Amino acid sequence: MRMNRTANTILGAIVLSAGLTACGTSEEGAEATGEEVAVAEEMTVIEERQANFEGIGDAFMAIRGQLEEASPDFGVIAASAQTIDTNANKISGYFPEGTGMDSGADTEALATIWEQPEEFAAAIDRLTGASAGLVEAAASEDVEVVGAAVMNLGGACMNCHETFRLDDES
Amino acid sequence: MTEDRIKVWDLPVRLCHWSFAVLVPALWWTAENSEMGWHMRLGVLLLALLVFRILWGFFGSSTARFSSFLKGPGKVFAYFRGATKMQPATIGHNPAGGWSAVLLLGAMLLQVFFGLFSGDPFDGATGPLNHVVGVMTAGAMTDRHEFFFNIVLALVALHLLAIVFYAVVKRDRLVPPMVTGSRKMPAGVAGMVGVPAWRALVCAAIAAALAYWVWSGAPGL
Ligand code: HEC
Repeated sequence: MRMNRTANTILGAIVLSAGLTACGTSEEGAEATGEEVAVAEEMTVIEERQANFEGIGDAFMAIRGQLEEASPDFGVIAASAQTIDTNANKISGYFPEGTGMDSGADTEALATIWEQPEEFAAAIDRLTGASAGLVEAAASEDVEVVGAAVMNLGGACMNCHETFRLDDES
Repeated sequence: MTEDRIKVWDLPVRLCHWSFAVLVPALWWTAENSEMGWHMRLGVLLLALLVFRILWGFFGSSTARFSSFLKGPGKVFAYFRGATKMQPATIGHNPAGGWSAVLLLGAMLLQVFFGLFSGDPFDGATGPLNHVVGVMTAGAMTDRHEFFFNIVLALVALHLLAIVFYAVVKRDRLVPPMVTGSRKMPAGVAGMVGVPAWRALVCAAIAAALAYWVWSGAPGL
């Protein structure tokens, strides 16, 4: 009886820790085993695209960080604006069919991207327009001008995320 | 040897403990699955429970109090040296378990603290206090929040391993008393000394008020 209870406790603990270990393993692993090379290629596209957005996000943060400083470093602002513009112009190539959330992959890309291709292209254009505007503004070395361009760019991010990226806040 | 069933953990301690055990995996899951709305609600709930548990560590029943289970390094080492031998029967946290509990509470609190400031409004969800810090600070907090979960996970793993060690090596099942609140001990061992229930209500009210203030974005800060 006593041994039995001990065994139960051990079993419970093992199940618990197994559950936690499972939490640590990546979903990618589980998915990659299911299908073949095509899936693996989609994974890299998704990863590259997310890294591309991360680059945009970090650079945008760096610019806003500089604007919070008493004397912003316009060198940092110009370089970051250039990064955003370069990455923004790569976005259109990162969305082949079948790389949305429906595929089961770890992505926040909504099916609307492929259902409304014209709107999506317009959202990208709005971004590249705004990022080119920010590169120009950075060259002015004027805080007000850069500030206005930052707001404009921020609007372009929100505009696209609203319709084409999973809303994670509800 | 005769044994008596005595009280070891009060209800607030048990409720906090099992809430932590549910909330930590739930918080991990919501973050991984882009359920940031729920991640934030549960995170602030965790904050309330942590604040309550810390207050309870000063005003709660005997086994809940930090002063009853936080022992100096000498006692902790002495405990480890004799860990596989029979030790005098006591209830509540042993010298090692006491520190493990405090480390877990501290790690969860720090993790929640990072989370409150995390995120970027142009990226997606933001913690309720994101707006009170600059964008670079918020970015650093986000990185810490992502990294520090590994520390929380390591401490949880250690905690579970200790429970297995007790069950296997020491033949001492620690989980049932954390569920029922009582356990059999050799006759003569003193049980937990409780405190009136109103104290729990006061601590809960303070914790809830603080969590609500944080949830509202810390007005007045
Ligand atoms: C044309 C649409 C579009 C625009 C414009 C856009 N994004 Fe995104 N963004 C997306 C989509 C779609 C995703 C989800 C990608 C995925 O999960 O595969 C995303 C994801 C992200 C991510 C998360 C990347 C990750 O690690 O998963 C960040 C950060 C981000 N965007 C920042 C920005 C910022 C900052 C801007 C503006 C400067 C911006 N985005 C403009 C569509 C856009």
